[in-house]
Amino acid sequence: MSVASLEVAIAEDSVLLREGLTGILRSTGFDVVAAYDNADDLLVRVRSLPPDIAIVDIRLPPTHTDEGMRAALQIRKHHPGVPVLVLSQYVELGLAMQLLAESAEGVGYLLKDRISDVADFVDAVRRIAHGGSAIDPTIVSTLLRRRRADDPLVRLTPREREVLELMASGTSNQGIADRLVITLRAAEKYVSSIFDKLGIPSTRQESRRVLAVLLYLRA
Amino acid sequence: MTDLVSPAPPSTEPASADPKRSPRGWMLWAIAVASMGVVIGSLILALASEQLDLPGLRAFLIAWIVIPYVVSGILAWWRRPESRLGPLMVATGFTMAITPLQWSDQPLVYSVGHLFDMLPAALFLHVFLAFPTGRLTTNAERLVVMSCYITALVPQVVKVMLGVNPDSVFVVVDRPTIGNLVEQLQLVVVGLLLLTGAVLLYLRRRRAGQSHRRPAALVVDAFGLALVMLAMLYAAGLGGWPASETIRLVTFASLGLAPIAFLFALLDARLARGEVANLMVDLRRNPTADPQGPLAHALRDPSLRLAYWLPKSESWVDQGGEPTTLPQADERRTVRVIQRDDEPMAAMVFDRALEDEPELLDAVAAAAGIALENGRLRAELRARLQELKGSRIRVLEAGRQERKRLERNLHDGAQQRLVALSLELALLGESAGADPILSDRLARAKTEVAASLEELRDVARGIYPAILSSHGLGIALESLADRAPVPVRLTVDLVEQLPEPTEAAAYYVVSEALTNVGKHARATSASVRVRRGGVGVVLDISDDGVGGTDPAKGSGLRGLTDRVEALGGALRVSTSDEGGGTVIHAELPCP
Repeated sequence: MSVASLEVAIAEDSVLLREGLTGILRSTGFDVVAAYDNADDLLVRVRSLPPDIAIVDIRLPPTHTDEGMRAALQIRKHHPGVPVLVLSQYVELGLAMQLLAESAEGVGYLLKDRISDVADFVDAVRRIAHGGSAIDPTIVSTLLRRRRADDPLVRLTPREREVLELMASGTSNQGIADRLVITLRAAEKYVSSIFDKLGIPSTRQESRRVLAVLLYLRA
Repeated sequence: MTDLVSPAPPSTEPASADPKRSPRGWMLWAIAVASMGVVIGSLILALASEQLDLPGLRAFLIAWIVIPYVVSGILAWWRRPESRLGPLMVATGFTMAITPLQWSDQPLVYSVGHLFDMLPAALFLHVFLAFPTGRLTTNAERLVVMSCYITALVPQVVKVMLGVNPDSVFVVVDRPTIGNLVEQLQLVVVGLLLLTGAVLLYLRRRRAGQSHRRPAALVVDAFGLALVMLAMLYAAGLGGWPASETIRLVTFASLGLAPIAFLFALLDARLARGEVANLMVDLRRNPTADPQGPLAHALRDPSLRLAYWLPKSESWVDQGGEPTTLPQADERRTVRVIQRDDEPMAAMVFDRALEDEPELLDAVAAAAGIALENGRLRAELRARLQELKGSRIRVLEAGRQERKRLERNLHDGAQQRLVALSLELALLGESAGADPILSDRLARAKTEVAASLEELRDVARGIYPAILSSHGLGIALESLADRAPVPVRLTVDLVEQLPEPTEAAAYYVVSEALTNVGKHARATSASVRVRRGGVGVVLDISDDGVGGTDPAKGSGLRGLTDRVEALGGALRVSTSDEGGGTVIHAELPCP
């Protein structure tokens, strides 16, 4: 599947953001096939002509509470082949866990602020569309900030902590290597060392380890 | 005793005012003397009779019935002039006194006596069903009694004219066979009507249930027994049973016992008057207790309820200050309004049977005067407290709604615009190309916007946790726990969703408690437990820190206590016995 042909369907009720998002995605080679201001239309679209990725705002009309979230969960449940990115003004680990409940494949949960870091955002959209995941870094950093009795995290080197944060956000080994300007092999070494130190059962699959790391940090 | 009665004694006014003249004393005396004459007359008739076996016993049985009915009737007439029961009982006694005329050897006297042979049965039925007011209240009762009167009189005349009794002077034709048939039919119908009466009494007693006063229930039982026995007597006469003489004795005994039970109930009412003194002692000993219990005890009516009049809001409240309405008086219950200074003060709702004792009610109302006044003040205080609580909740709820609205406005307004602005800056940065100064300044602007967004996000979350209204308490608490400065073990045992004000309060309690854990406790872990219990939700938050949190010092906990108490809940902060950490226990009611 070439990048140019990735079809995107959007549900976002703010005109400014809907147009901004559409503009950015189009200018970076995505095909925005539909942009709605509500969740129902998006669900109809996903059912009839599934896009390569659905991007949905968490708060949508009519009640502006959890319409977007419910739509995302419905897509996850009934159309597991359609990746979903949930955008919000706030991110909560509890909601992330709901989204990841079944699997961490083809799912994203990001602050709306991230859109303006265009390169990273586009990268995340592409990753999700290809079955990866993207969890907002604030979630991980909040979890890392807390103090614990007998904290195993103190055994990590600063570099390993960086890798852990990227890993929990859904970044692939290649992504980690690119970000930290290290070789892929070095990145892999860091990853397995972290798993060893924290005693997390290691998993080769990059999307599955997101959940494992989040669960570990949360406990 | 008068010292307990206030200078302006409360006047009472029965809700169903139907004043009846009291009978003159001489009239009652005349009735008493006449009844004695009748009893002596029947004794003479019995002893002079040649056809009567055991004349002494027969005369005694007549006296056994006439005297209790006339005496009870006179007493009832005197004590309860508004009830028709007194005259009715006197009439029953005298009708019973006519029947001994049958024992006369004079043909005319004998024949007249025989004509009224069956009438007492109808009167007994009438008296029993009309207890205690002297009036028949239902159509079924009226029908049964009327049928009994007709059956006691009309077939009696017919059968006498047909010559069932050859000695009667009223014989018209000599057809005793048909006459006997009429008589048998008459006995069957009267017997059945009496049994129906007993069933009606039983049903009434069951309907009255627990609320019925005990002495009254006793009277009704005695009446029912007498009716059944009377029906048995007729059945025995019909079947010519050998035991009929014994049955007659038992029947007469129970018929005579019925008014004695009635007298006992009257006596009980007199005894109840003695309770008034006890009531005053009771009320004086315990001046802050509500008088409802003592009043119910003194009047021997467990169903008694009090209501108080609040002149300001012009409404009735119960002893707890809850709004209430006075029930309509019906066949079981009645309402009496107790006035003070020409204004209603309180109302008693009680068993209708008590209406026959107006003096007792007056005495009790007078004795309870001050206690009722106090009770009214307390009820008023409680009603105001309720009102205050209500307005406190309303203020809190209005504040919550306002915060929710503000958060929503921030979200839809400023936050969206800032995101759009940051997007715009990003696009601008891309088109700025290679100009290093411009790119640098754009990047700085973007960083500023990102910082503003983050601050705004914290402000918005502080104003109102959007996640609470959108995803419920469970998820909201999870997000609190995830953001807490120490790992939190969270247990939420809630099946159904709670009302949002309760959820918001629970959220704030946990939020503030966890903030405190981070600030003061030097803790490394905390646990939060939420479950249903008591009147609503129970929250327990504990940490493994150093404890010693003083709710009076931290304004956060103080405000929290206010919020919880406004909802009618309670919050307790203590130091754990085991680990020494802080333990917060809060209970929140669900409205």
